[in-house]
Amino acid sequence: MANGKIKADTLEHSTAGSLDTSYVVNGSAKVWCAFNGTGTIAVRDSFNTASLTDNGTGVHTVNYTSAIATVEYAVTTSHQENQVNCCYVGPTVSSVRVDSRNDAGTYYDINHKSAVAHGDLA
Amino acid sequence: MNTPEFQGTHLFDRLCWAKENLDGVQSDYRVVYEDSIDECAKILVPDPNWMACALQGGILPPVEVYHELAKDEAQPGFTKHTRGYLLHETQPIDAMTEEEAIEYLIKKDCPQAVWKTYNEGNRLKLVICKKEQLPQTREWRNAWKIDQDLIAA
Repeated sequence: MANGKIKADTLEHSTAGSLDTSYVVNGSAKVWCAFNGTGTIAVRDSFNTASLTDNGTGVHTVNYTSAIATVEYAVTTSHQENQVNCCYVGPTVSSVRVDSRNDAGTYYDINHKSAVAHGDLA
Repeated sequence: MNTPEFQGTHLFDRLCWAKENLDGVQSDYRVVYEDSIDECAKILVPDPNWMACALQGGILPPVEVYHELAKDEAQPGFTKHTRGYLLHETQPIDAMTEEEAIEYLIKKDCPQAVWKTYNEGNRLKLVICKKEQLPQTREWRNAWKIDQDLIAA
């Protein structure tokens, strides 16, 4: 990095104990994306996201810039409305599809929608 | 602000630098494409932080790196990337214009079957437009198709 680099395997607090820095590296989200799912679709803010694909009502795909190493990683999705369900579908190492449906099971556009991925980077 | 020398730096670290030092750029461009005759048109929306990286230069790898990784992902039984180093060790590309960045994004995130043959056949399957040119409401979103009269335009 431009401002220099600190290499350490362990962080130690004066009283609270120590922590392997691998927890910090491995535990950090590798991708996150918050976006408008209604009106003019747009990314509100993000990290490690290259683009968003609007596939149709209630169906969006977040495309990553730096790929994940394996398909065995964790994705969390969320939204800001009641009586709506949000879930992810078939993540690949380079993208994840995020679906939202209303209680009747019909695909539904939500204003605030987000996805977060945790895993190892390629 | 000049981009630090990033060749060999993990792409994730470069993105961390960009997030900290660059303001996001909301592009007005949208890419509308059809990859299945049975499905509605899809719309590719550039990410503002990614666009900032593209315009800055020296951060993103050449798009061909993604194509190489896509070949690996397409292999039967693919479970893990073993050539992720291509993302980090390939010389980053210089600054792009917004239009060049959209072209890069098409080659990265649209299906290859769409952009490699966008000018073949008798049906328009990929259009770059401004967001104002899209329908203003999402009513009947699942019926949206590319206006084929654009071929004559």
